[in-house]
Amino acid sequence: MITLGSILEIKNFKMYYNTQAGKVKAADDISFSLNEGESMGLVGESGCGKTSVSMSIMKLLPENAEIISGNIYFNGKDLVPLSEEKMNEVRWAGISMIFQAAMNSLNPVYRVGDQIIEAIVTHEPNVTFEEARGRVANLYKLVGLDPERMDNYPHEYSGGMKQRAVIAMSLACNPKLIIADEPTTALDVIVQDTILRELDKIQKRLNMSMIYISHDIAVIAEVASKIAIMYAGKIVEMADSVTIFKKPAHPYTVGLMSSFPSIRGPKKELNMIPGEPPNLLNSPDHCRFAPRCPFATDECISKTPPYEEIEAGHLVACFHPQNLKRQVSANVG
Amino acid sequence: MLKYIGNRLVQIFIMLVIYVAIVFFLLHAMPGGIKSILITNPKLTQKAQETIIKAFGLNQPLWIQFWDYMKNIFTLNLGISFSYYPTPVWNIIAERLPRTLLLFTIATLIAFFVGFVSGKSLAWNRGKTSEYISTIVGIVTYTIFTPLLIFVMIWFFGSYLGIFPLNQFLNPDLWIHTNLNAQTVFLYILMTMSIIGVVMLVSFLMALRFSHKVGTRKLIFYLSTAISIIFALFLWAVSPLGIYGADIIWHMVLPVMVVTIISYAGTMLVMRDSMLETIKEDFITTARAKGLPDKVVRDKHAARTAMLPVITNFVLSMGFVVSGGVITESLFSWPGMGMTLLYSTLGKDYPLAAGALIFTGVFVLFAHLVVDIVYAFLDPRIRY
Amino acid sequence: MTDSTDALVKEKLESPMSVRIKIMWRSFKENWKIFAQSKIGLLGLWIVIIFAVAGFIVYPILTATVWKSTSLNAMVSYNPITGYDFLTTNPAPPSWAHLLGTDPLGRDVLAELLYSTPREFMLGILAALITVFIGTLIGTVSAYFGGITDTFFMRLADIVLLFPFIPFLIVISGMMQVDLITLALIIGLLSGFGGITIILRSQGLIIKSKPFIESAKISGASDAYIIVNHIIPNVMPLSFLYMMFNVTGAIFSEATLSFFGLLNIKMSWGLMIYTADTAGYIVGSNIWNYWWLWLPSGAAITLLCGAFYFIGRGLDEVVNPRLRKR
Repeated sequence: MITLGSILEIKNFKMYYNTQAGKVKAADDISFSLNEGESMGLVGESGCGKTSVSMSIMKLLPENAEIISGNIYFNGKDLVPLSEEKMNEVRWAGISMIFQAAMNSLNPVYRVGDQIIEAIVTHEPNVTFEEARGRVANLYKLVGLDPERMDNYPHEYSGGMKQRAVIAMSLACNPKLIIADEPTTALDVIVQDTILRELDKIQKRLNMSMIYISHDIAVIAEVASKIAIMYAGKIVEMADSVTIFKKPAHPYTVGLMSSFPSIRGPKKELNMIPGEPPNLLNSPDHCRFAPRCPFATDECISKTPPYEEIEAGHLVACFHPQNLKRQVSANVG
Repeated sequence: MLKYIGNRLVQIFIMLVIYVAIVFFLLHAMPGGIKSILITNPKLTQKAQETIIKAFGLNQPLWIQFWDYMKNIFTLNLGISFSYYPTPVWNIIAERLPRTLLLFTIATLIAFFVGFVSGKSLAWNRGKTSEYISTIVGIVTYTIFTPLLIFVMIWFFGSYLGIFPLNQFLNPDLWIHTNLNAQTVFLYILMTMSIIGVVMLVSFLMALRFSHKVGTRKLIFYLSTAISIIFALFLWAVSPLGIYGADIIWHMVLPVMVVTIISYAGTMLVMRDSMLETIKEDFITTARAKGLPDKVVRDKHAARTAMLPVITNFVLSMGFVVSGGVITESLFSWPGMGMTLLYSTLGKDYPLAAGALIFTGVFVLFAHLVVDIVYAFLDPRIRY
Repeated sequence: MTDSTDALVKEKLESPMSVRIKIMWRSFKENWKIFAQSKIGLLGLWIVIIFAVAGFIVYPILTATVWKSTSLNAMVSYNPITGYDFLTTNPAPPSWAHLLGTDPLGRDVLAELLYSTPREFMLGILAALITVFIGTLIGTVSAYFGGITDTFFMRLADIVLLFPFIPFLIVISGMMQVDLITLALIIGLLSGFGGITIILRSQGLIIKSKPFIESAKISGASDAYIIVNHIIPNVMPLSFLYMMFNVTGAIFSEATLSFFGLLNIKMSWGLMIYTADTAGYIVGSNIWNYWWLWLPSGAAITLLCGAFYFIGRGLDEVVNPRLRKR
């Protein structure tokens, strides 16, 4: 059942939100696996369910969320049936997170260092306060912060410093996996780049697994070795980042590629994906991209396309995959 | 920190001056003015009236009167009470202010604690039946007509159960055999409580300084508090004052309960709202993600941060609590500031009423200052 | 040609007034939906409606029919102020003639209760209106103009907040004759310059920073126009919310002052308890022997104060979306 060497394996995971308007299918039949030391990018428009996936892995779901089916194996252990107490042992010590809004993920009334120490002593009760302080000082050096700033409060940090502190915090308990949910969105481009590179370096050095979540495929491609594209609660394509860039197969991925400018490549017109972003509420039982897809046929609006391996390590959920040698041009139009 | 407190002190001093000015001019703007109130007061003889008019320059222009009044206030010379002629107003207030102080400090601390804890659990158990019931009970006790509550409390605890005295500050049958002054005993009680308070504060700060483990901190704090309380109780028990002190405390239980009941809900409701907003913050998600136990997330992260707006609101509601205190004091015949204020007003004892009003204001101001300092300790964002 | 097109366009376009009314109606309906979800708010609304019906409709009907003085019952008068029942020993317990008994002065308790109801409403709502009017005006003006105006009114609010409210009212009403209208004015003025100004100002500041204020300025709207047409309508829900809390405060203050016999009024709920208390019927163990003297009026004060507070809590969920469940 469990692939050897994989740190995280998600199998046919379904999670819906029950709202007054109906069921919101935030994660619908999600499957992927991640090896030890591997870094992966999860890309999609806002509202496509990528944050829901990360919150499901941490089991930090709101009350109205319901896990319908599926398993999340972390280190060979299924997290879905775990109790809150057991789950608390996995959180941070096994899987830690860098949050979307790093600006607000530090409690304003406690010293930043103390908030990191808190995580350490919760999971390793034998560590004394002084040892924990020493570890935090090392982490500060690792992420490029002055250890003397440990005793400052969050409001005395700049945006970039808070982000670094949050990264230091995520490393505090030597987790096997870090989920970075839009780790740099709130920062300006220069700081964004520096921080991502450092994060990448740290990940390689400490040999951790990493999931980057972003709406920006270009940012992810620099640091992630493989990329999964999410659309309307489903993973529509997954491959290593080179393949995704060179030979995007799903029409949505193709659209995403052409909506980003490239500095080095030849000049070309930027294309927008036509149509509205999907509504996850009571989504239909056929291909969800079909209403916006230029290649859609009758087949696409009657059946859900299977999630299949079209090449080695390249999975796509589409009836009409693009950029393949055996592409049937008749499908177009 | 010191600069902040200094600033607040200056601000509060200015406010005090303006407050006194408003009280002064309002009373002098009354139809007929102070003089007519003075002359129509039947308790004063012709000679006494003349002495007062001369001593307080009531024949002089208003501005000069105001200047004199201001000077007198800051030398604590508030005039002579009409109804307790010739006792100076300051002596009466000096006797009664500590009684109000004790009653309110205890009731306020209990009310804040109860409101804080219940508001916290209301927000944490959102949507359950218990939440609706506690909210309704809270609002009813908050808006209940205070005399109604007091009638029922006196009947229930005083007559029906018979465990607490009906009213009065002390039991006259007990005190008749001694030449002890109630005020002396009372001041000893006040002193004991302040010492215990200081011990608690010091042990709390020591605990913070010497240990980083929550368990050890709690142990230091509770242990030293318990030791100081036991020691104080022992001293009171062996001293001859013991029984008289117990008598006063025993008379204080019902008033404290009433003030607590009418004021806890304010804190509770604000705490609930503040807590509901705080638990949607990102740092709460972070705290959960860190794998902290539910209780730690609730108490250390959510409640501690949600507490700040509650304290601000608490300052705003101080006037409300003091108002409730007037009714409580007069119905329990607890001879504090509220009762003094009411009876001096009813008896047209202008100097005492004005003095009582001013010192009620000073009391509220002082409470503001204390809460401000506490707030500065709790919120690192305004510390510098 | 152009005239006819203009007419055509005019026919198609509704007048701005009717559009505004339609928008208001729609937002009212939406807000009502949110309010109706709050059980506490609905409970409060029902209590207020029951009191209003009793005071404004039932009481006039009763005085015109059952309680009308005729030669048959000349010995019993139901006048809440001067009435006297010569047929029983007063205070009389509840009976068919007096559903809630009579007070020590022989007056019918139910008549007193109902007679006071519209007056309590009037006092509460008048005081709250004055408070909200002053608070909204000053709050929005200091938010919009800032600077010295802002500083002045905020410092003033700080001082007013410091005032021990009831002690202050006690001293004032002891020194001069205060009737219901004067009391409403004093309460309204005092609380108008207080906390409500600070709250509405901060709301006004949020609205001031919104882009539509900027665009109104660019299109040449005057300061007064922007305040009246853009800022005030947006702080209105919050003003309305605080109005409910102020009604509670005003009724409570009146009851307290009447309870001490400090007001120059003939009848009110607080005065009913004062009468019973000064006549010595509310003493420790025997309070339940004369329960009709203090319980109905005390309960009425508590219920009406509580009801307005309940409504305020319900409105809070409308005005403050962060408190809503989802």
